[in-house]
Amino acid sequence: MTQHKSERIMNLAICLLMSRRYLEKTRIREIVEGYHDLSDAAFERTFERDKDELRTLGVPVETGSNDAFFPDEVGYRIRREDFELPAIDFTAAETAALGLAATVWESATQAGQTTSALAKLRAAGVDPDPSRLAALAPTIAAREPAFDAVWSAYVEQVPISFGYRGETRQVEPWAMTSRRGSWYLLGYDRGRQEPRMFKLARVDAAVSRIGKPGSYHVSETVDMEAAWARLEPAPAEDVAVVALRVGRAHDLRRRANPHPAVVPAGFEAFAVGYSYLGDVVAEVCAHGPDVVVLEPAALRQAVIAQLTAVAEGVTR
Amino acid sequence: MTSAEQVSRLLALVPYLQRHPDADVDTTAATFGVTGKQLLADLNVLWYCGLPGGMPGDLIEIDFEAIDAAGRIRLSNADYLARPMRFTPDEALSLVVALRAVAELVGDDEGEAVASALAKLEAATGAPALPKVAVAGGEAEVRDVLSAAINADEMVEFDYTDAGLQPSHPVVSPARLLVRDGIGYLQAWSQERADWRTYRLDRIVGIARTGQRRSQLGEPPVFDPGWFERSESALPVTLVLEPAWRWMAEYIPVQSVTEHAGAIELQLLVADPAWLRALILRLGAGLREIRPAEVADSARAAAAEALAAYRAG
Repeated sequence: MTQHKSERIMNLAICLLMSRRYLEKTRIREIVEGYHDLSDAAFERTFERDKDELRTLGVPVETGSNDAFFPDEVGYRIRREDFELPAIDFTAAETAALGLAATVWESATQAGQTTSALAKLRAAGVDPDPSRLAALAPTIAAREPAFDAVWSAYVEQVPISFGYRGETRQVEPWAMTSRRGSWYLLGYDRGRQEPRMFKLARVDAAVSRIGKPGSYHVSETVDMEAAWARLEPAPAEDVAVVALRVGRAHDLRRRANPHPAVVPAGFEAFAVGYSYLGDVVAEVCAHGPDVVVLEPAALRQAVIAQLTAVAEGVTR
Repeated sequence: MTSAEQVSRLLALVPYLQRHPDADVDTTAATFGVTGKQLLADLNVLWYCGLPGGMPGDLIEIDFEAIDAAGRIRLSNADYLARPMRFTPDEALSLVVALRAVAELVGDDEGEAVASALAKLEAATGAPALPKVAVAGGEAEVRDVLSAAINADEMVEFDYTDAGLQPSHPVVSPARLLVRDGIGYLQAWSQERADWRTYRLDRIVGIARTGQRRSQLGEPPVFDPGWFERSESALPVTLVLEPAWRWMAEYIPVQSVTEHAGAIELQLLVADPAWLRALILRLGAGLREIRPAEVADSARAAAAEALAAYRAG
């Protein structure tokens, strides 16, 4: 059954691709293998299904009329320039990156999509050499229970509704991003009437579709880069002067500059930028006696308070 | 296998086989992500496809004898399907995300090639390169030195701070850069310890090639970031946190999270006492209770020692 159906749909695709004119249904029925023996009703049903299936695959089946005077006589064709992958000229280094990209996805659905994308590139004469970047193994996982439903809605531009922290949200997906292993969705929140960011780990798995594919437009005015930037730490606005024990706290030292403050033997003074007091207090305290805050006084006090809380212990 | 998937594959298979004359059955099956058996079923479908009219000369020709005899595929009489179909939106976006993940692991040198590949894909397919990927992969300069050292078969040395904030100066033979759950790692052979070691790329500083030849390496072991949780010396620890610290459950490897009496209770397995000490110091008064209580002793001692420095200065 599948074999015959695949043959019929392939032959339909080839026939529509070869035709310069719009082909009427009656003509298609005559020349495409698989339609001859069907009753009128069965042919109508089968043809409609086959045509829709081709469109679902992404084959651009066009509808139109050859005759300006009889526009009701509808026919079909596939324009070659809309169908074919355009020629892309990749360098060897670019091709190697594409080959590595095929191995990145850990989730089976998207891995399958990159495999078929790479097969298409190979069919167009782009043949990646897998040995070139053999020492690199980038991966992307998608373990959030809501991932598949949100991703497919994003790809097809389908508005969705989902539970988020106990509330129901109606969202038009605009873009997705993976940051440090967690997925985020940026979209238009219909209830709040503004763009919102959602962390997928907090989206309930039961996502429902509340519209047709392509039934909204992705905003062209919203600054996506700025929206993503909000996920990153804010730029450093304040500067702390700290004493770091020699040979310790490389992580702080990496984003610090030497400072002339006088410090005890075995320590070196550095200036380090920070944006949130709470973050830098936690970071400094984590180093215990290897990091001492000299300035500003407010940070110094906050660190002393936190160290005191730990030293006195909440449990004893 | 639905006929939709099959047709989609056939539309790429026909141009592929014309571009790769005498293609090997197994290689072709792997390229398309199917079994050899499925590939033969595909070819059987194509045998009945061709130009409308259905005359023998109109059909695609496949040399089934060459397949049986040598495992080689010869397909002809299909000039009209010389190029594959455009990417579907799902293919294009999946590939864009994957390329962005590659970009996060290469250094500046290869990074330009990834960026230009993305730009060409975007221009040719109209796929918006909107999805982003951010990996904690440290400095591009560190990755460049590591890639260059691997290609040149050289050892490297660097300053390292582990998860428990303990410093070290490894001298190792780098083998592979990889990403797990959004974090970039180096797998390297340590001559000194005669074992494979894993280092987080964002904790490496001051890296340099040593000029010494890299040890002869086999394949590094399969990387499993969960190994330390299962090691026999790992200790079960319970943390009770103030509600404001709920987010911590997403950032440390917890086994379970429960909520009661207005507090968040996390169960975890701790293999590295230094890591736990740093965590307790980081949490401060956000930590209501810890069980067993004595695992907090070294954090308390470290806090007391730090406070002494403040009193002295």
